[in-house]
Amino acid sequence: METYRIEDVVFAFPEKEKEALSHISLTIKSGEFITICGKSGCGKSTLLRQLKSILTPHGKRSGKIYFCGQPIEEVDQRTQASEIGFVLQNPDNQIVTDKVWHELAFGLESLGCDSATIRLRVAEMASFFGIHTWFRKNVSELSGGQKQLLNLASIMAMHPSVLILDEPTSQLDPIAASDFLETVKKINRELGTTIIMTEHRLEEIIPITDRLIVMDEGAIIAEGLPEHVGAALNRMKHPMFLSMPTPMQIHAGVSSGLPSPVTVKDGRQWLNAYMSGKTPVAIDIIEDSPKQASAPVIQFKDVWFKHDRNGPDVIKDLTFTVEAGQFYCLVGGNGTGKTTTLSLMSGILQPYRGKILIGGKNPLKMNVKELFTNNVGILPQNPQTLFVKKTVRLDLYEMLSQTALTKEEKASMIDEMVAFAELDHLLDIHPYDLSGGEQQRAALAKVLLLEPRVLLLDEPTKGLDGFFKEKLARFLQKLNASGVTIVMVSHDVEFCAKYGEICSMFFDGSMITTNTAIRFFAGNSFYTTAANRMARHIWSDGVTIEGVIERCQKSR
Amino acid sequence: MKDRFSSFHPIVNFVYFAAVLLFGMVFMHPILQTASLASALLYSIMLNGKKAVTFNVLYMLPLLLVTAVLNPLFNHAGVTILFYLKNGNPITLESIAYGVSAACMFVTVIIWFSCYNAVMTSDKFIYLFGKIMPALSLIFSMVLRFVPRYIAQLKVISNAQKCIGRDVSQGSILARARNGMTILSIMTTWALENAIETADSMKSRGYGLPGRTSFSLFRFDNRDKLVFLLMLGLIAVILTGAVLGENTMRFFPSIKVPDKSLLSFTVYMAYLGLGLLPVIINVLEEVKWKRIESRM
Amino acid sequence: MPEKPLAGSRLSRRTWLAAVLILVVIPATIVFGIVVLDDRKYYFISLLIVLYTMIPFALVFEKRKPQARELIVIAVLAAIAVAGRSAFFMLPQFKPVVAIVIIAGVSFGAEAGFLVGATAGFVSNFFFGQGPWTPWQMFCFGIIGFLAGILFQKGLLKKTKLSLCVFGGLSTFFVYGGIINAGSVTMFSSEFSWKTLAASYVSGFWFDIVHASATVLFLFVLARPMLEKLDRIKTKYGLIEPGGK
Repeated sequence: METYRIEDVVFAFPEKEKEALSHISLTIKSGEFITICGKSGCGKSTLLRQLKSILTPHGKRSGKIYFCGQPIEEVDQRTQASEIGFVLQNPDNQIVTDKVWHELAFGLESLGCDSATIRLRVAEMASFFGIHTWFRKNVSELSGGQKQLLNLASIMAMHPSVLILDEPTSQLDPIAASDFLETVKKINRELGTTIIMTEHRLEEIIPITDRLIVMDEGAIIAEGLPEHVGAALNRMKHPMFLSMPTPMQIHAGVSSGLPSPVTVKDGRQWLNAYMSGKTPVAIDIIEDSPKQASAPVIQFKDVWFKHDRNGPDVIKDLTFTVEAGQFYCLVGGNGTGKTTTLSLMSGILQPYRGKILIGGKNPLKMNVKELFTNNVGILPQNPQTLFVKKTVRLDLYEMLSQTALTKEEKASMIDEMVAFAELDHLLDIHPYDLSGGEQQRAALAKVLLLEPRVLLLDEPTKGLDGFFKEKLARFLQKLNASGVTIVMVSHDVEFCAKYGEICSMFFDGSMITTNTAIRFFAGNSFYTTAANRMARHIWSDGVTIEGVIERCQKSR
Repeated sequence: MKDRFSSFHPIVNFVYFAAVLLFGMVFMHPILQTASLASALLYSIMLNGKKAVTFNVLYMLPLLLVTAVLNPLFNHAGVTILFYLKNGNPITLESIAYGVSAACMFVTVIIWFSCYNAVMTSDKFIYLFGKIMPALSLIFSMVLRFVPRYIAQLKVISNAQKCIGRDVSQGSILARARNGMTILSIMTTWALENAIETADSMKSRGYGLPGRTSFSLFRFDNRDKLVFLLMLGLIAVILTGAVLGENTMRFFPSIKVPDKSLLSFTVYMAYLGLGLLPVIINVLEEVKWKRIESRM
Repeated sequence: MPEKPLAGSRLSRRTWLAAVLILVVIPATIVFGIVVLDDRKYYFISLLIVLYTMIPFALVFEKRKPQARELIVIAVLAAIAVAGRSAFFMLPQFKPVVAIVIIAGVSFGAEAGFLVGATAGFVSNFFFGQGPWTPWQMFCFGIIGFLAGILFQKGLLKKTKLSLCVFGGLSTFFVYGGIINAGSVTMFSSEFSWKTLAASYVSGFWFDIVHASATVLFLFVLARPMLEKLDRIKTKYGLIEPGGK
């Protein structure tokens, strides 16, 4: 039985020449687990929204979409509401009411179920999802992961036959994201619900995917079993191949004649098979010769911090130094004090014991101008918090409104920044109409207009796809090369391993280890990159994909 | 101490508060007012503990005195003249008595409201009105969801703005005011743009289909029925008293309290019983627990 | 499509309902108050009257089965007003609520203006404490939003800073201050006299001045950007556009 049959669908937004979807044909069988990937703006969200009439954006569509054999336009709203579940990206935005139990019941109330039915279904869902312990809580007390789980549960309470998820984990931290994906897997396996999902985190989702679909420029460019799609992308030399799981990429970089692994476990076995009879080559870590003892830019000396007098210590006896020109990454789990440390650096919070020096001075004693002009710049986690005006251009000018520059000086500064951040084609757009990656660049440009010497970044890769991450990395490297010190808080282990210079692990309010990126990840056995987990039994210092491929190729 | 009365069905809670507030505003009779004030005080202390004591002593007592004193200054009716003010206006016993009575009434209502706020939480209210006004009660629920979220977001935006030197705590007064408004303005954009997804989520879950029902966790069980009937009985007695003119007194031109009779005594008892209902429930529950604990 | 006639009947239904309330129920309440309650319970009677005035809005709104996006816009604006009220909690009477309610009324019409105001007044007291003042506040905020919407529709109120600020200042001082002070007289003293009313106005004068100037200031700075934002939302997502999908 098929859930969806999509026949030659073409879709264009109003007043746009370019087709957002071009000639999509697809059949989705009942119970299948489908993952759709592609870089932002490739049309995956637009495609998903075609699958439920009420969410379909304005525009012109041709072609046919059948839901369970019936044209989707003819399926009545009540059936669509209950049969087609749709989870959106932002966990916060989807919650309507203020209580967990009410949120769970919301859809059933709309369907007009009686109290007894709702009571039963809500109870079932709460037990299935493990929500019963926070069933009566206020929504505002939940964590991001719990919120997204609640969204999923409140949709599952309507017993949909198909579940559509649009990048559901992009706003979650890695642990919450795996929990969430695990639950989706459970729904697919135990309830037989059809799953159609778009996702950037392919590493975890591909092993459970039945069929992977890759989109580019509104068209499907590859589809089939994940291994086959990976191979096809590799043949096409398509940039999306860089988003495939690490074992696949390593496999593709080494000609072995063996079938492609998908998970780290498969990857290890593949590597063992490949290496049998060969002697692993050791490659010395070539570290950049330590930069000539540069001046410390940020110094923490025995810093302690807590939010209120009787509260627990959030930062405990933290001591470290960031030197000028470093690219410093702070990694670690949720609630270990990473973001708090960043706030301490910017003077938003102050320690109750110990000393913090920025460029040799206490940030709390500097005035605003001294601290934030030509000194410290901060890119907040949510770039939207910086946008004030109705176009990107006005927003950039707003940043210079309080300076004493002449009109020409301002214009030239902004032109330079626009060229640097590649914003020229986005200048007249409303900041909220930009994609996540573009918003990030616009916000970065705003912060950089203050010409900081130290740039603090809070989770800059959150919600970005591989392509935009790459782009962000290039900007950061360019800045770093021009002498800007970068301190970054991140959950993104792969990103830190690839681009970071120094990495520090946070745990329980202080730093556990600090080392250069490669040595740092080589020294961890669990909190490390997928490439390292796959190859560490042979090369503990193989941290990046490129590093492992090189070692494989050189081994004879 | 945990309040047991709060665990009753919202209808029971609501009818109780509607009755005590209404009666508290309407009946001007020394015995009834004392009964109401005493029950309100007792219950508020039971609910809010120390906080209620400070509230009552620090705010309610001065309020009571001020209101009581103000009335005779403006009101010169009454036959028993005590003395004359400098401007020649008389101060009468009746107007003092009336002032005290009115002040008492006002303070009692305020204290009852402090109890109401502790017991009638937003979800109970939304439940009660969800049946008759589904759309508005959903709006209330959404506002209650958005407000804490917006306040948190204001903090986030304010921190982000602080880092580019644009916070309310930075710069001259004028710059601060402007920065404060900028923050509110950023929040507005953020709130409106994000709300579109909320609307999508509502539509996606079938909001707007005809025949929407309203679900709640509350159940009207036998315990609720018992207390509800008891309460209705007491209210009926009190209303009978009201119709027969037992519940009010005359202040002007001269003070006249209705004669005491068996009926008036019954009404007083019923009024006290109604006022103390939550307190009695709490005490009974406490005693029961003590007994169970001692047996274990 | 039967959109226009619907809007027509909506208006007339409310007028009809309002007429019944004003001509029958309100006089009946007053008579009841005089006869049964011995003409002493001003607060009680005025409270009932205030509640009556809000009922038609509630009934009409419920009756026409509002769409998700209408609920959202009203909820968002009311929540912004409440969050704004608590953000400035340390400055007494310096509140953006009236400014936001006026903007809502101008941008989305009289009904939305009333509902945003009344909802903001009601829900904010879940955070600050309900009391006998709640219905008064609901009524005042609501009626200012309603007036803003009506006057804008009639072309008497323009989307200019001057026009909005003048209306904001006057309505805060006279409508809000005027009604709330009268309301507090009925709350504080059960005896109504012109003297106490005058005393209440005098004592409330500075509070009302601060409140009115806060409204003017908020409107001066916020009106234009806020109206632009709301217009953007209206056009971009087709919000509050009757019947359309």
